[in-house]
Amino acid sequence: MISVNNLRKEFKKTIKEPGLIGSFKSLFHPKCEKVVAVNDISFEVPKGEILGFIGPNGAGKSTVIKMLTGILTPTSGTCTINGKNPSENRKSYVKEIGVVFGQRTQLWWDLPLRETYGVLKEIYEVPDDRYHKQMAFLNEVLELDSFITSPVRTLSLGQRMRADIAASLLHSPKVLFLDEPTIGLDVVVKDNIRKAIEHINKQEKTTVILTTHDLADIELLSKRIVMIDKGSNMFDGTISELKSKYGQIRELNFETDAKDIEQILNYKQHFGFNDDDIKIEKEANNVTVKFNSNAVPVSDMLSYTLDKINISDISVKDADIEEIIRRLYKQGV
Amino acid sequence: MKQVKRMLRMHRIFVTQELKRMMEYKGDFIVGIIGFLLGQFFNLLFLWIIFSQIPNLMGWTLEQILFIYGFSLIPKGLDHLLFDNLWSIGHFTVRKGDFDKYLTRPINTLFHVMVEKLQIDAFGELIMGIALICISVPSVSIEWSVSKVLLTIAVIPFATMIYVGIKTATAAIAFWTKRSGNITYMFYMFNDFAKYPVTIYNNVVRNIITYIIPFAFTAFYPAKYILTGDNPLFNIGMTVLLSIIIMFIGVIVWNKGVKAYESVGS
Repeated sequence: MISVNNLRKEFKKTIKEPGLIGSFKSLFHPKCEKVVAVNDISFEVPKGEILGFIGPNGAGKSTVIKMLTGILTPTSGTCTINGKNPSENRKSYVKEIGVVFGQRTQLWWDLPLRETYGVLKEIYEVPDDRYHKQMAFLNEVLELDSFITSPVRTLSLGQRMRADIAASLLHSPKVLFLDEPTIGLDVVVKDNIRKAIEHINKQEKTTVILTTHDLADIELLSKRIVMIDKGSNMFDGTISELKSKYGQIRELNFETDAKDIEQILNYKQHFGFNDDDIKIEKEANNVTVKFNSNAVPVSDMLSYTLDKINISDISVKDADIEEIIRRLYKQGV
Repeated sequence: MKQVKRMLRMHRIFVTQELKRMMEYKGDFIVGIIGFLLGQFFNLLFLWIIFSQIPNLMGWTLEQILFIYGFSLIPKGLDHLLFDNLWSIGHFTVRKGDFDKYLTRPINTLFHVMVEKLQIDAFGELIMGIALICISVPSVSIEWSVSKVLLTIAVIPFATMIYVGIKTATAAIAFWTKRSGNITYMFYMFNDFAKYPVTIYNNVVRNIITYIIPFAFTAFYPAKYILTGDNPLFNIGMTVLLSIIIMFIGVIVWNKGVKAYESVGS
């Protein structure tokens, strides 16, 4: 349904020497440098999927999203939704999509919220009956009723985000782009928004492309993730694939009254771990050992630990996605 | 045809929205109206003082000059009223990345930008223009004919389009340079020359405002035809032709600019 082929975006950047004199020089002899923000990215998204699109800050996520939403023109490569291409026919392409940029709003700032929906109805040429049906649905899912008559400038961030999501869905788009939809929101509002996204995805079969730094969004909503860094594809697969591929990190938790456990349990020396492969945290009597299970099997770690010290409670945990991603962002693949 | 109908409908909807927006801040709205009435009153007073000292300028009588001046305010006012939002493109919309919004909507971007705002201050210019025309017409002895009336009415949208085309082209430069408000401003400075008969200027200025930045066709040339009936082919025909060429250039620069738009980091 969405297919992205070798998408590439280059920007020209003027290089300035520091200070006023540098700015002045660059006014007359600009030095330009080519920056590749997105380097031949390809992926496909089938209908009805919620895709988590992640990557560290500055990885090129926004640039990709902006090309997919028709805002930026790609240097080369294509993206199509149902065969429609934004570079060829932007207007018919954008009718198929809804866009929410968490840090911007498309609502009419000075007017009651309801007025925004009235204008969007006209812009997207939504017929009356469809409009009323869709409004009723969005009202139910996003609970807009309590503030639909308030001017947009008076809405709280959580209300505004719900209102913005509703605005992007008014014309029942086939694809919804959500760029950081939970940024700056409290836990309860985050939960509500996640539930709403899930509901809309189920009910309307809307394909969702979700960028976020809150990995809970991804874990709760999407089965598949595409991760990019420095403009290139880094990982494309399901969350369980990510875990099995990079999730060698296991967590060993136990309780002990032994002191100096680092010295008694000298894992590093005993097993020959690299620095990156093991981390020990201690809090009162609770000890957490994070280690790379490819380097040392879990069973060896367990028997060695039980051998060395007295333990009252012990458990082994799978790595959580956050830990995996932290490592990936830090070192790249 | 369907397209035009839709555009008119969208225009009406945006204008209604804009009026509602103004009414939302009642105090500001009322003070704004009082402000522009006062402003226009002083403008008129000032004009009257100046022109009553100059009974005759290069063969043009005071009343004729007032007529040209008044006529110049009509296209200028219409441009100001309906298409003022183009200024914000060059000043901040592109630089701050707010242009993203227009690109995610299924309407022509240029049209969307144009119809989004209404600048009611422009009623000042329009009211004053009409007033000046009404005051001067009885004493300039125009020979009216049906074709002249029709041409007069028909030329106004084209004269307005000269403004719009220049503003579109210069605003669109911001897509490359991020900021172009000052370029638009520089071009607009020349429209002050258009309020008076071009015959009073030297050749350089006259050629610039006739052929390069043809603001003279927004006022002097059409007004000259209305006053004297001279050479409609040049005075009216060139207004129409040049306005179409300029708007065409504006649209081309705009469309190229939109493709070059870089948004901002987020």
